Amino acid sequence: MADLDAVKINHDTHLLLDQSCLRLPYELLRKNFRSVHYPFEWDSTSVKNVVKETANGLISGKSTPQDAVKSLDQMLVKMRGLKRKLTVAAEEEDNLYHQLDARVAHFRDLANLNTVDDVRYEDWSRQRLDRLLIDYMLRHGYDSSATSLAQEKGVKDLVDIDTFVTMSKIRRSLEAGSVQEALNWCTENKKELRKMQSNFEFMLRCQQYIEMMRTGSHNKMLEAINHARKYITPFNDTYPVDVSNMAGLLAYRPNTNMEPYASLYSPSRWPKLAETFVEAHLKLLNLPMTPLLHIALSSGVSALKTPACHSTQSHIDPDHTQQRQQPANGAGTTPTQNTTTTTTTTTTTGTTTSNTPTATQTHPHHHHGTASLTTRVCPICSTELNALARNVRYAHHSKSRLLEQDLMLLPNGRVYGRARLAEYAAKSGLPVGQLKDLVTGEVYGEGEARKVFVT
Amino acid sequence: MEAKQKLETLLSELEKVNSLPRLSSAVQDVDQVIQLLSEAREQIAGAMDPHTASMTMTRLQNPIKFAFGKVNDDLKAASSAHKKLGRSLDKHFPLKELPTDNACMDDHLPLINRAIAMHLLREGQFSVAATFINEVQTKNPAAPAAAVTSGPTYDEPMDEDEDEDEDEDDYNVDEEDDENEDHIEADPPPANQNNEDDEYDLNSLHSQELQDKFAEMYNILQQLKAHNLLPAIEWARSNSAELEARGSNLEFELSKLQYVWLFMGPGVDGLPNDAQSGRFGALAYARQNFGRFRTRHLREIQELASAMVFAPNLAESPYHLTFSAVSATFADVAASFTREFCSLLGLSAESPLYLAVTAGALALPRLMKYMLATRSKGTEWTTTSELPFETPLPESMLFHSIFVCPVSKEQTTEDNPPMVIPCGHMLARETLQKLCKGNRFKCPYCPSEGLMKDARRVVL
Repeated sequence: MADLDAVKINHDTHLLLDQSCLRLPYELLRKNFRSVHYPFEWDSTSVKNVVKETANGLISGKSTPQDAVKSLDQMLVKMRGLKRKLTVAAEEEDNLYHQLDARVAHFRDLANLNTVDDVRYEDWSRQRLDRLLIDYMLRHGYDSSATSLAQEKGVKDLVDIDTFVTMSKIRRSLEAGSVQEALNWCTENKKELRKMQSNFEFMLRCQQYIEMMRTGSHNKMLEAINHARKYITPFNDTYPVDVSNMAGLLAYRPNTNMEPYASLYSPSRWPKLAETFVEAHLKLLNLPMTPLLHIALSSGVSALKTPACHSTQSHIDPDHTQQRQQPANGAGTTPTQNTTTTTTTTTTTGTTTSNTPTATQTHPHHHHGTASLTTRVCPICSTELNALARNVRYAHHSKSRLLEQDLMLLPNGRVYGRARLAEYAAKSGLPVGQLKDLVTGEVYGEGEARKVFVT
Repeated sequence: MEAKQKLETLLSELEKVNSLPRLSSAVQDVDQVIQLLSEAREQIAGAMDPHTASMTMTRLQNPIKFAFGKVNDDLKAASSAHKKLGRSLDKHFPLKELPTDNACMDDHLPLINRAIAMHLLREGQFSVAATFINEVQTKNPAAPAAAVTSGPTYDEPMDEDEDEDEDEDDYNVDEEDDENEDHIEADPPPANQNNEDDEYDLNSLHSQELQDKFAEMYNILQQLKAHNLLPAIEWARSNSAELEARGSNLEFELSKLQYVWLFMGPGVDGLPNDAQSGRFGALAYARQNFGRFRTRHLREIQELASAMVFAPNLAESPYHLTFSAVSATFADVAASFTREFCSLLGLSAESPLYLAVTAGALALPRLMKYMLATRSKGTEWTTTSELPFETPLPESMLFHSIFVCPVSKEQTTEDNPPMVIPCGHMLARETLQKLCKGNRFKCPYCPSEGLMKDARRVVL
């Protein structure tokens, strides 16, 4: 029952990781629209007024036809400029609608699926992985990787390369100590930033002021005071502490030890500004703060992880290494020993690579726990994720979930499904009535195996 | 299927928006304004008399107002289309806040980078992988480049290769697996861990060895796709001891398919029509290669040979099944090849990144539900090693048997392993200890009794 539920796709909650994929085109459409809306309002009002004023001026005789031609020329320049902006915006809009279309088609693919067992679900989920990988790369500024992966996989319309490349550019310029690009961005998004109550622009203005003070030159300091009058002191009510700190800065040189002035002069403010920018940028576009891949991985790695994945004595390997060592040590393979001396077992097998060569020398023809065609190496045990998974919790299960049915206990304490034992015995060409441990290779008579009940 | 319908409604609504007016109409209407202005300018400049000028300018006012009105309407229409989009999204796909506390990932970027690089290599995206490794390394010059030459960090498969080459050449691949799993279980002291994290980075991938392995796998797979079995057979033969020990029949399956493929003749396999192909080729191939499989697969070999007799009328022979589904067999063989190849490297056959992200998407709703619940109650689960909520995954994502003690309802772990008692029932050790009165206990599931010393630790 539980499993039926587990394979069913809940279309409502399955797309949590994909919200921004559908939403961002909308946010960008709005942003794009704003980029022409205000210029239009501005220009159209101004042109209408100028036409009216010029007409009035001509009627009253205050202006000449030459004046009229001149102002018409100016208006034409303005309108051609507006047309250019509109053309760019219209192209961008077409582009965004095209992306939206591609994404709708992508989501429709999922809407047509009912279970995760459907082979087409794998294709879909692989595309999602590509999207998340590209998102991760873009957020960390690995732009070429992201672009080439998108190209290779043909998912360009499903990812937002331009948005993030722009973001990375501004972030990098801040990290390099330049405010100009970020200030331009603030101007473009003034209204929205104000709505968000972001202090980012104010912080940039403060940084400009700090940089002027840092020079220590008389002229620059005067410039700084003017700058402060224009951009900083007006915010006295909103950010009183910062404003008074800025004022106090006048009295301190960059090499001061006095706080908070020493921190204000510190170059570490730049990476912080870059961080603040990234946050504001993501928030403005309603994008999640962390890479989606982090969210998916921390949830998925936990869900897949079992106590066996990092145990020193998982069902996989070291146990048998130890067991195979026993005859070599002359200790004999009394299985009970294994039970009673668990602690010692753990410590011996806990050792890493160093003890393995010895083990293999004694039993060169062993093979490991993932033997047989029917079992697979677990993704958490695989090199890619193993170290990463160490830091996460393992999944909670309230019911046993066994890979095999009809469990049989071998004298060495290992348990396998009856079918798999039979299959392996046949494959190994054993005479009838014998069984072979899939992991350790020990051979037993069928009579020695006992049934185990899992309630 | 209410949720599904909701998604479908959303998608159709979004699709409809596509046909609504766009900004491009505003571009055309601005042209109208420009035209009006230019005409006025021509008139005034042509006449250059105050009367015409004032007349023109006065007459210009209304058409200009009208033209701007049109542009304004265009903008409004475009904007309302956007807003419609926003409303559809809000209604059918409301924005849900995602968990922000992913410290376990945020703090281990080198590990994530390595996982991504390995994923790309595994997928055969060699050039993207190279770009990625380069970009990561130029961005993080802090990562010790020295590690490229200075040798192994302990859990790199290729590093282990190196170890083996020194220790023992004979059982190289076999060994490697072993060590790989060893390192899985190896628990380095936690203090070390963060330092080692940085060492886990991509430097090791630069050593080319893993890249070469994946390149080899990828090439063999490409050849398999093109129905050329020989590279795969060669690989299986050179690893036959390890494969056999794993209980894998891969080498035989491949050779068998090669026989069948030759048998089909040039008409099907497109090979040149000579003694090397067709039925004669198959027979020659069988004579040369099947000997080594005689002990394990005698019956199948006999069947394959008998098929010769039925050759002209194979479809009605008892063997037609072996010969009819060749392309499916190629796909199967490619899948088992990938599985075996990766297993011998100690890697899972399916990309772990793919599985983890897919599992992540499936488990995320539960995580968010839990987050909401605990946030509103202000409580936190105290178990640090186990998730506090269940995350059901499909059978295909189960890789280890999970045993939950039927009495204590706890998952067995290394510290509290499963035990089997004489009657064959399984319990967690702690449960058993609690059940014990003196040395004896009574099975909670059947009337039998047992002694503690007869309880056996079980490896599932």
